[in-house]
Amino acid sequence: MFELSTDVCNIKTLKNEDLSAYDAIYLGDFSCPEYPNNFSSNPKQLKKGLDLVKSHDQKAYLRLYAVPSNHDMPWVEELIDTAMDLPFDAFEVHNLGLLRVLQEKKCTIPIHLGVFGNLYTHETAKVLKQYGVTRVYPNPELSLKEITYIADNTPIEVLLPVHGKIPLVISETCFIMEHTENTKLCGNNKCNFPCLEDHWLKRGRKDGSSNDWSLKDTGRMTLSGKDLCLIEHADQLSSAGFTAFYVQNKGEAEGYASKVGHIYRTALERAFAGDSGIDCAPWLAELDALSHEGLCNGYYFEGAGQRYFGRA
Amino acid sequence: MVMMMAPGGTLEMAKMVLDEGADAVYVGVVGWSRRGAQDELNDDEIRHTIDYALRLGKEVRVVVNTLPSSSELPMFIDCVARYAQWGARGFMISDIGAMHLVRQMLPEVHIHTSVGCGITNYEDVKFMRDIGATYVVLPYRLSVEEIRKIKQESGVGIEVFLFKTPSGGKICPGKCMMSSYFSFRRWLDANGKDHFFGSASRGGDCLRVCQTKWDFKVDDTGYQQPMTIKTNPSLWLGELPAYMAAGVDCLKVPGRDRSATLVRDIVRVYRRALDRIQECDHPDLEPFASELEILRARWGSERSKRDNRLISQAEKESRGALVATL
Repeated sequence: MFELSTDVCNIKTLKNEDLSAYDAIYLGDFSCPEYPNNFSSNPKQLKKGLDLVKSHDQKAYLRLYAVPSNHDMPWVEELIDTAMDLPFDAFEVHNLGLLRVLQEKKCTIPIHLGVFGNLYTHETAKVLKQYGVTRVYPNPELSLKEITYIADNTPIEVLLPVHGKIPLVISETCFIMEHTENTKLCGNNKCNFPCLEDHWLKRGRKDGSSNDWSLKDTGRMTLSGKDLCLIEHADQLSSAGFTAFYVQNKGEAEGYASKVGHIYRTALERAFAGDSGIDCAPWLAELDALSHEGLCNGYYFEGAGQRYFGRA
Repeated sequence: MVMMMAPGGTLEMAKMVLDEGADAVYVGVVGWSRRGAQDELNDDEIRHTIDYALRLGKEVRVVVNTLPSSSELPMFIDCVARYAQWGARGFMISDIGAMHLVRQMLPEVHIHTSVGCGITNYEDVKFMRDIGATYVVLPYRLSVEEIRKIKQESGVGIEVFLFKTPSGGKICPGKCMMSSYFSFRRWLDANGKDHFFGSASRGGDCLRVCQTKWDFKVDDTGYQQPMTIKTNPSLWLGELPAYMAAGVDCLKVPGRDRSATLVRDIVRVYRRALDRIQECDHPDLEPFASELEILRARWGSERSKRDNRLISQAEKESRGALVATL
């Protein structure tokens, strides 16, 4: 009927979190190779993570580092070589150079294009299909109408983010480390993971008005302050023909993916069953309480990403 | 021989940079480039620029580097075909689907990847070459040795900005949507052309929200003075001989949204510096360095004014109701 997926960075989170609401898990943090035991940069962690996901009868997708520089390519290729020998259901690629690497390696594992792959048009989706891409994550700036056009005019599946913070910008270096005192470094000058604490960029009147701007920073990636939320529009998504939905979990506290996942699992099941009279208010209140800065709809309804459009 | 390409943010600027010694001028099309309309040219101005350049034996590159809507692509192709027929020799493009279409339709034109492609490594360069790019613009922060290796291994035309970011930081452009998250509007004009306010990727101005002062907080406790989020790049010179020896084919002067006189003066310095490098084995660039220092100050002053204007626009736009119903 549909697939609901989320992301998990490492084996610790994978073990601790209740992910039973999800059909598939994106393994790894594509933004920071230094993140502790990150699946995206630790070949030795892959089999453990894969086995655990498969033991729950879920699909396992491996996320590859999104912005590899020249000096990163050897270790990323090493990770790919290890992963190609394992039964992953797909690799998620953000970097077109890595897409080319996978083609050179004659990779037969399906490929998903990630959020920083800059997918704006159906013609780009067609080009990517020639490289083995079977699913695309449209750029967050696209409206639902534009995404629907791509889905209707390409033989590629579209992954639709339905909840969580929106990835807005990525870095090759860590913003938190650049602006944190040296006490946050270990003695050997290695990262002591200050990103495990919540970091926020804020400006404005601090009165909760539209003049207040907020962003969440996870070090190498900046996310929207507000949480994207489409719970009120689940029936519209099912009737538009989307079948792959995603909850963004990077940077969230333990328990977030579980609570959000169960809400969307129920809402989407009812929407796909044709139940159009769903009262979303209790869910909306719960999701709002889980957010730090409130809810938004991203760009789906053609306004600024931080706006929220409810159902009349 | 390296090509110096300079901006034509206005018709006046386009003529000035050609007169000052640029080998080519690049001009954005209204609604189709990563700038606001005030720094783009309409069709009459583009035709005029092409005719002017051709009379001087020089070239024009047309910037059509938005990431368009799928439904706009037929209009995009019409645009490109028209400018190629008028004599434009190349196009700067971000969307790889659009790039692929142009290569199929116009095999003789040059395709430059735009900075919007967000290239970070040598395999990216080969990917762009494979789908039809003839020039690939490299990120600001690569070393000379990395550039040399990329040139040798890819064989594609290498383009670099005469502009560098002093340190790491967020990847901009090509991987940034901060501006449109706060302020974004979309509308269709009478011809069906999509227009977007607040997103450089989609053809409006980036509103430079990264350049306003932010509080950086852990949980709810601020621990740093208000700061900007990104560092600004600046004009460079010293490594120019090494870049040319590494095989760089195209040097790009930035500044479509600067004053015509400032860009003219920048082109004047770089033209003389490039000629000096090509004339002798050990060129003394010191006289140009001091001139460039003055230009950097003018550049910084104009940038501050532009940033303040754009941030004000972002604030004004974001004041609309944040919650509405469909």
